Amino acid sequence: MEKQEHYAEFRLRVRDFLDHHLTPDLRRAGRLMTSVFADFEATMAWHRILFQQGWVAPDWPQEYGGTGWDIQERYIFQEECKLANAPSLLPMGLQMLGPMLIRYGTAEQKEFYLPRLLSGEDVWCQGYSEPGAGSDLASLKTSAVRDGDIFRINGSKIWTSYAQHSNRIFCLVRTSKEGKPQQGISFILVDMDAPGIKVDPIVGLDGRVEQCQVFFDDVEVPVANLVGEENQGWTVAKYLLEFERGGHNFTIDLKKQLGKLHRQMAETRGINGASLETYPVLGSRLADLEIDALAVEYTELRIKGANSAGENPGALSSMVKLVGTELGQAFNELSLDVLGPAVAPCQLEALEPCYDGDIVGPRYALTAMAEYINNRASTIYGGTAEIQRDIIAKQVLGL
Amino acid sequence: MSIELTEEQKMLQDSAERYLKNSYDFDQRQAASRSAKGFSDERWAQFAEMGWLAMPLPEEHGGFGFGAMEIMLLAEQMGRYLVVEPFLETVVVGGGLLARGATTALAERYLPAVAEGQLQVALAHGEEGKHASMINTATTAVDEGAHCRLNGVKSVVANGDQADVFIVSARLVGAGNSAVTLFAIPADAEGVERRGYPTYDGRRACELTLRNVVVGPEAVVGGRGSAEYLLDRVALDAQLAACAEVIGGMAALVEATQDYIGQRKQFGKTLSSFQVLRHRMADMYVQLELTRSLMLAAASSLAGEEGDAARLISALKARTVKAGRFVSQNAIQLHGGIAMTDELSIGHYFKRFAVLESWFGNRDFHLQRFRELQSVA
Repeated sequence: MEKQEHYAEFRLRVRDFLDHHLTPDLRRAGRLMTSVFADFEATMAWHRILFQQGWVAPDWPQEYGGTGWDIQERYIFQEECKLANAPSLLPMGLQMLGPMLIRYGTAEQKEFYLPRLLSGEDVWCQGYSEPGAGSDLASLKTSAVRDGDIFRINGSKIWTSYAQHSNRIFCLVRTSKEGKPQQGISFILVDMDAPGIKVDPIVGLDGRVEQCQVFFDDVEVPVANLVGEENQGWTVAKYLLEFERGGHNFTIDLKKQLGKLHRQMAETRGINGASLETYPVLGSRLADLEIDALAVEYTELRIKGANSAGENPGALSSMVKLVGTELGQAFNELSLDVLGPAVAPCQLEALEPCYDGDIVGPRYALTAMAEYINNRASTIYGGTAEIQRDIIAKQVLGL
Repeated sequence: MSIELTEEQKMLQDSAERYLKNSYDFDQRQAASRSAKGFSDERWAQFAEMGWLAMPLPEEHGGFGFGAMEIMLLAEQMGRYLVVEPFLETVVVGGGLLARGATTALAERYLPAVAEGQLQVALAHGEEGKHASMINTATTAVDEGAHCRLNGVKSVVANGDQADVFIVSARLVGAGNSAVTLFAIPADAEGVERRGYPTYDGRRACELTLRNVVVGPEAVVGGRGSAEYLLDRVALDAQLAACAEVIGGMAALVEATQDYIGQRKQFGKTLSSFQVLRHRMADMYVQLELTRSLMLAAASSLAGEEGDAARLISALKARTVKAGRFVSQNAIQLHGGIAMTDELSIGHYFKRFAVLESWFGNRDFHLQRFRELQSVA
């Protein structure tokens, strides 16, 4: 019971902080999110505020700038931020590179990169996928050839989220063609302002730019920028991918989507003029999804229980990634069915946090189509749904 | 909410698992199921000896006074090994109704006997043309002052073929009262007639006819007009047990199918080398584990008498039906023709799941109820 009170008090402390520091502009940016990314300026402004407070990297060990919170406190913090419509922080540095550097980086690398990452001075993007290497990441071809104390990099990375805003990129590169494809891969840190790097934006299906293609033309990088051993990058990358998959809390996202859906159903009228909430067919579809979301919530709780008992939740995290993303997509579809034609108007300028003009249609319908579109990516990135099924079949069922 | 088991609960789970694994094999199960009785007296006596039948019953009437978590753990293992003995009907439902509603005298007459394995109970609530989830009933109990006179026909009474006592729902008539009430009626009472038959899940049920059955006030379970309240409450335990049974069964099916596709060869290679089949197996496993998470949450909520227990139980039932269908149908699909035979256990899980689907309200009923019950979180 004491614990419960402690958590309740912690929640109030977080709420109080959000009340004072999460400005209306930042909340608007959070509300207008249509993918895992929020408006870049707002994201970094919120990043700096959290850094000032010492709360920017709750998941990190305390000695490197973490908060020392337990798993429940971290969850509460995430939940409160999401429910208050805080913009999401960029995961590439805080969720992926940070924990990886802490585990595999040299003392110099940690000392140099971690503080800059925490303060927001450095913005990182992730150079994994290539035009010819998606799910089969180990077939990647971007090469790094050793020349004295530098590597010379040639090739191209794609689906590089927010590369246009980043000053650094961490990459998987091929340093050897010997042995199995996984064996010749190295993990390296690259400055985006190095000569020979070119960033091409990719216009997404929603009409906006989140992804880029990054080209490397004889880019010179110091050998000291290798993380882990040469040709051992695959081990490093796998560790990092686990963070990409496991670090996410689907329950919070699903709860938020559910809240939106309830609102959309309450506000929209059906053919007999009554609120769509009263339509049994929609009602039972919603109940079905809501029950699945509950099942995800309690599965995440089981994972947390296993984590804190020091057990490996194993493929449960693949399972939650698989189900959480597919369920999120089902919520998006139901949103479209509920809102009807109101989702069609493409109002890109109205999705910018600084926009204060008129919009077409109800505000609660503004983001639905863009969310539906962008969320198709959720079963592709971080290991496709099919890759997750492969992992479950192999690691849990031994097939 | 904590969904971890205590040491005692883990021990119960382990001992039930060990006992059933070592001594409850499928061939014997089939033989017991086909016997005139439909299950094994010997097994039932062993369950009693191990204390399983006393587990959820109150201490003052020969029980151990445990609750939802223990019911869940036992039912899950019984589901895993396709147990045909009527734990659900006699102990969880019958025992649950009597423990909550019977007068002290009635409870003392029946509950110690249930705990010792000496008495079989069946709830006789359903009627032809009605879902069992409806409280409305055409069976009447005419109030004649000193006693009531019951008339009506009850349909698909689970465990009815072997019941020593029926708990019958009937609408009170006369004395300005029309509320539905439960009555405990001995199977050998005058005017009670049953016609037993097998059900597709390897068990036995009956059609029950009541013709001018006269019962005194001591036979009323839970007071006049309390049937709905009592059934609603006991249905939570029953539903948890039924879902746990299906979840135990799903775990058995996932294991069996995983073994099978790892061994069976077609086109010169094992079935598990086909990705489409590996992915189907992954989906089966996901369905099982997601549903298990809900089961743990619902059991824990029910054990703590928390406000959201009924809502979680409805969520669990709706999800268990969906998952149970997916897993059992695909277990058959992946095994192929052999699973369509009576010889293999696979199809018997499938049939048991199908019968349990409509028990105390089907998936539609519980989706609806889930919507009606507000979240208290």
